[in-house]
Amino acid sequence: MLLKVDNVTKTFGGVHAVRNVSFSINKGETVGLIGPNGAGKTTLLNVIVGTYKADSGKIELDGNDITTKPPYKICHLGISRTYQLPQAFWDLTAIANVAVAGLCGKHRPDMSYGDAMLEASHCLELVGLFGKRNILARDLTLYELRTLGLARALATTPRLVLIDEAMAGLNPGEALRAVKLIRRLKEEYHLTIFWIEHIMKIIMEAADRVVVLNYGEKIAEGPPKEVINNPTVVEAYLGKKHA
Amino acid sequence: MVKLEHKKARLVLRLGDLKLEWAIERRYWRNPLIAVSCLLVLPLLISGRADLVSLLTMASIYACIAIPLTWQITGTSRMNFGPQLFVGVGGFTAGLLGIHAGLGPWQTLPIVILVSLACALLLSPLTIIAKGLYFSLITLLLPLIFLEITYYRSDIFRGETGISGIPHLFDLGSISLNYITGCYFSIALALLFLFIVDKVMRSRLGLYAAAINDNEDVANAVGLNTNRYKVVTFCITSEMIGIAGWLMAHYYGTFAGVTYLPLIFMIKILLMVMIGGRGQLYGAVVGAYFVAFLEYFLTGIGPVHYVVFPLILLILLFILPEGLYGLYRKHRYREYYPTIKVRRKEI
Amino acid sequence: MIGTMGMVGVYAFVLGSLYLLMSLGFSLICGVLRVFHLGYGLIFVMAVYVTWMFMENFGLGLIPAIASMCVVQCLFTLLVIYLPIVKRYIEKEELLLTSLLLVAIIIEEAANYVYPVTAGVDIPTTIVPGSIKIGAASIPNQMLIAAGIAILTTAMFIIFFLKSRSGLLMRAVSQDVRSAKLMGTSTERVYIYAMMLSIIPPTICILVMVPFWSIEPYLGWPLLHTAILVAILGGLGNLRGSIIAAYILGLIAATVSFLIDPSLVPLVSLLVVVLILIFRPQGISRSESLW
Ligand SMILES: Nc1ncnc2c1ncn2[C@@H]1O[C@H](COP(=O)(O)OP(=O)(O)O)[C@@H](O)[C@H]1O
Ligand SMILES: [Mg+2]
Repeated sequence: MLLKVDNVTKTFGGVHAVRNVSFSINKGETVGLIGPNGAGKTTLLNVIVGTYKADSGKIELDGNDITTKPPYKICHLGISRTYQLPQAFWDLTAIANVAVAGLCGKHRPDMSYGDAMLEASHCLELVGLFGKRNILARDLTLYELRTLGLARALATTPRLVLIDEAMAGLNPGEALRAVKLIRRLKEEYHLTIFWIEHIMKIIMEAADRVVVLNYGEKIAEGPPKEVINNPTVVEAYLGKKHA
Repeated sequence: MVKLEHKKARLVLRLGDLKLEWAIERRYWRNPLIAVSCLLVLPLLISGRADLVSLLTMASIYACIAIPLTWQITGTSRMNFGPQLFVGVGGFTAGLLGIHAGLGPWQTLPIVILVSLACALLLSPLTIIAKGLYFSLITLLLPLIFLEITYYRSDIFRGETGISGIPHLFDLGSISLNYITGCYFSIALALLFLFIVDKVMRSRLGLYAAAINDNEDVANAVGLNTNRYKVVTFCITSEMIGIAGWLMAHYYGTFAGVTYLPLIFMIKILLMVMIGGRGQLYGAVVGAYFVAFLEYFLTGIGPVHYVVFPLILLILLFILPEGLYGLYRKHRYREYYPTIKVRRKEI
Repeated sequence: MIGTMGMVGVYAFVLGSLYLLMSLGFSLICGVLRVFHLGYGLIFVMAVYVTWMFMENFGLGLIPAIASMCVVQCLFTLLVIYLPIVKRYIEKEELLLTSLLLVAIIIEEAANYVYPVTAGVDIPTTIVPGSIKIGAASIPNQMLIAAGIAILTTAMFIIFFLKSRSGLLMRAVSQDVRSAKLMGTSTERVYIYAMMLSIIPPTICILVMVPFWSIEPYLGWPLLHTAILVAILGGLGNLRGSIIAAYILGLIAATVSFLIDPSLVPLVSLLVVVLILIFRPQGISRSESLW
């Protein structure tokens, strides 16, 4: 078992963004996390990577408690993430964006600047962004920013990648390319993927197992086929009358 | 084993594991060479005019403050509105030790370094807990509080008049010779600082600084210990500013809180950074010499220069969107261009 | 002992009220425009020196001079502060803050050039002369009056924000500029309005304080310090927080100056503010709204 989330709760003021959620992710799996908007998916991800501190509960990576560790340590331990709203070092070039991740993402003080740049170009090539390596991040398109996010996550040599709505805002063609890209990276680098998605269809194809969140609570978990027929899930997604 | 190689327009020196590289392409060397040789020849040309020598020294010391400040602004991603605090710390430490303990400049230097480091460490948590405007405001107030203290403990700090009789930097017999050597020393220090900060900004540390300046959260998420980096940057740069204060005390032989701690001095430093090139390293150097010389030549118009000087700076701020350095760099390839941040959304 | 306590209490109240009045305009700008008016000190300087200019050079009486000064202040705020600087640089704070500081410096240096410290300024705004004995020591009447005026002004501001339409608009903008814009509020009008309103408290403040304050061209900075401290402690622009913060700082000032040493007041106040910031980074009240 790679990651274990145990009874995690996170509140903002009075809002229970995540409430008593438990699940686990095994090595090599692709686990989907779905749920309507505002269900607390992004918050859960932020709690896992340490951006938010959980109010209660425990998160373990390989059996080690990482609940209170700061984000950079969690990154060193092998978890990296992408953002729902793309984030980047806007005034740095694409290659510098990835090089920072390569230099910082692991304890390798011996890696030289040049090596980091080489590795960064390699990562950019994997996601098909090599041609744009000298363009400032602020000038990239949304799709390119999402792939840049993937390249950056990859450069930190992760074991577990948390993907936050990789498809949001992409047109169908780009979405398809992104899905293919993620699957290819997973195969090539033996990654474990925790994939948040708003759109059911994509996750149904890609995930081995799906966790469903609604109003911060886990309402279902299981193989995609089962989950999609679960009345509670249908109700959460489509409203009561369809159930 | 030492080995010198010449590869594709670079000179590589290997000393065992250590590898030093220099680019020997003309375009990299021409401008720095011109600037450095100007700075080296200028003191000789003006050696007859004590006031000009003193001005050049002052300008170089300004550069010694502005150079680390640009690194600090980038590396902590916060706008320090009170860099003169460390000028005060360094200067008073040197001055008080000089007159009470009778220490010479080279004996006070290590103590100044220690004291500045202690103060910087004490204040460095601010770079973590205080964000955006909070940081700017607190740093704005700190030197003013220090100024109050110099008045309050006038018995120690000589609030109004300042400490005088601090041992001079060099004692070579003739006063003008002392001044010229001091001038060269300040230029050398400015060049040293420039060299160090330039090296840092081109290394991985510079890349980290740019990343933090750009997006602190992402930097942390990709594994950079931003807190440590910010604290270290703050300490090193404050240290360098403290050394500038030490130089000031020993060069002039006097050190007064009223000269270096008030807002107007801070504004000067800030404007060097802003008018020079909005946080660009070389811009800050240009800005330092420009502001110092502008102020000096304006004193010629009588007491009204106190009004005219800030007015001219305000106008320059308005009409030069990328600073003086921007005029020169405009059509060139743009490296990382730091943003000076006093972030609005974090109020 | 009890006598000292009483003194501390009275001075804490008086100083707190004065601090409140000093910082009201600053907090207002901070709350509505979400920027720091680092040139805030120039309002005090102009209030004194423009009035003095009208009295000394134009031979006006006190009241006409003050009235003309108010006109000059408004025009200055609109034509020099708001239009060329605040409006233009509201998103670029480093430029905004630096330019505002520069303007403040230009104004005070101009004041110093025309009326050097040695020239002296004499604006007779004493309302009730003499002083009153409370317990062990005495306190100037003018100070008590100033405190009264401070409370009155603040109360009027609060009523304005709670009851009037423009006050409501300002609160809406202070809560969320974007949604206020969506609802068709002209933020620019609100900004100008807030800048104009923010002139009132410091002007009143310095005019009633003239009799017992040391008047010199550089008087703006210490007042700005106080305003900044109150604003930070109060939660950056929340008036409720600012009121509490002003009285806390008043208490600190009174205690420190009676029990230890008056010159330590700025130091101790700053230390307290920094300490509070460590434990409550958002200040006393969160800055989500003006009230
Ligand atoms: N930083 C925050 N402060 C306050 N509330 C937040 C914050 N982040 C998220 N929330 C609230 O938590 C809930 C879950 O949000 P989020 O995790 O972004 O949902 P999702 O990603 O599933 O769409 C929402 O109601 C949102 O308003
Ligand atoms: Mg989300």
